[in-house]
Amino acid sequence: MDYFLERCTQSVLEGDEEQAEELARQALELEYSPLEVIEKGFVRGIREVGELWEEGTVFLPELVMAAEAMKRAMAVLRPALTNQSETLTQGHLVIGTIEGDIHDIGKTLVATMLEANGFRVTDLGADVPAGRFVDEAEACGADGIAISALLTTTMSGQRRVVEELEKRALRPRFKVLVGGAPCSQEWAEQIGADGYAGDAVAAVALARRLIGIR
Amino acid sequence: MSKLKMDFLHSLRRRLVLFDGGMGAMLIAAGLEPGRAPESWLLKRPEEITTVHRAYLEAGAEVIVTATFGANRLRLASSPSGCALDPAKLNSTAVRIAREALSEEKYANRFLAGDIGPTGRFFPPIGALTQEEARASFREQAEALECAGVDLFLIETMVDLREAMEALRAVRDVSNRPVIVCLTFERKPRGFFTLFGDTPQKAVDSLLSGGADGLGANCTLGSGEMIELACLFRPLTEAPLLFQPNAGQPVIGEGLPTYRQQPAEFAEDLKALAQAGANAVGGCCGATPEFIRQAHDRLFPVLPFLH
Repeated sequence: MDYFLERCTQSVLEGDEEQAEELARQALELEYSPLEVIEKGFVRGIREVGELWEEGTVFLPELVMAAEAMKRAMAVLRPALTNQSETLTQGHLVIGTIEGDIHDIGKTLVATMLEANGFRVTDLGADVPAGRFVDEAEACGADGIAISALLTTTMSGQRRVVEELEKRALRPRFKVLVGGAPCSQEWAEQIGADGYAGDAVAAVALARRLIGIR
Repeated sequence: MSKLKMDFLHSLRRRLVLFDGGMGAMLIAAGLEPGRAPESWLLKRPEEITTVHRAYLEAGAEVIVTATFGANRLRLASSPSGCALDPAKLNSTAVRIAREALSEEKYANRFLAGDIGPTGRFFPPIGALTQEEARASFREQAEALECAGVDLFLIETMVDLREAMEALRAVRDVSNRPVIVCLTFERKPRGFFTLFGDTPQKAVDSLLSGGADGLGANCTLGSGEMIELACLFRPLTEAPLLFQPNAGQPVIGEGLPTYRQQPAEFAEDLKALAQAGANAVGGCCGATPEFIRQAHDRLFPVLPFLH
């Protein structure tokens, strides 16, 4: 194991944003391929944090800090990638909390984790009408739409997004991901969504499975 | 110690106390628009809230809880339908509405708990909430509840022990009445934790040294998992414990959300919670008056608690 890459992994694991950014810069100085540093360094960190979160060893603050560190490193490395005609994006998702629902912490965390794991994310915020999800996804050529609903009273809005897609004959073009406290796999199936994720780490795995390039 | 405080704590220590169930879903069933702050109905449709309180009293709840879960300044400010509402007025109105339901002679021995829920904001690194902001928002609410005359305080659905502690301190700033604090736990392969990683042991240590008279858990967990959590909590403390599980997970068909669990199964699980050492039980999301009625009949099959 390369000691330098190991430090990159550690900086994400420890949620040390400044260190992550500094290491990303150093990586370019040391003439690492950006892709190698991302995959063998930083991404390993974010994946390990995800595993630790799922088993209950680290919690929300650590997960958020790790994702922030990852994003800082990526901000340095991404511009360098384009030079090499390497596209790192795993796919593009439009994400938001459904109309009538102002809970956006879970949604923002999912967006952060998706970005940290290489997805391009367009965050529409909270209280987003069903039609706007579709408009925006179409406008930016997204691969998928991720809809959060935290209330039993607003989750029916997720169904409306699917219906809106069908109405405009766009259903096959976008994968639909749903999440939020009251949702379940069963609910996703019931409304014709492509998948359900119970937390931010599961959302990344789901996005990878549905639209991930590798 | 005031007589009331002694009365409630005495009850809690000596016998099983039954709390009520959920409020929000009942209001939605009565026509509250999805996404609107339930607190807005305290001013617009007070009679609907009285109806829910009455239904729980009739079902046999010994403690009913004010409709003030989201009636703190920070939480109201984040909602389009709540930001224009005055927290002090909402809280005093909520107490008056609940007192009206309690005014019948036959309910003279029941208790009213003033409900305090989370601010909806987070401390760093996730949000920018400060301890002072949280404390001030909770203190304003607690003061209004105290002045309007609740018998006890219920701080609940807290996912960050630090926020629960601010709410507890705020209540202690303005009141000597009993306080029960319920955190919301999730089940992970390594055990039960809050979203912020607080364990049952840490909750017991902090909340009791902060002046809580009782503690426990509500929401997220269904009644089956809540029994496991109660078994973990009981050996940690002799303080009174309250558990208020959800009635299963919500399922939406074509219309309104329904909860899969049957009232009879829920009632059976509340009995198991009592056997695991709970001093008080009640229901959270999905628990309607029917759940509480069946729980009452299951928990007190021979003599109703008011004999």
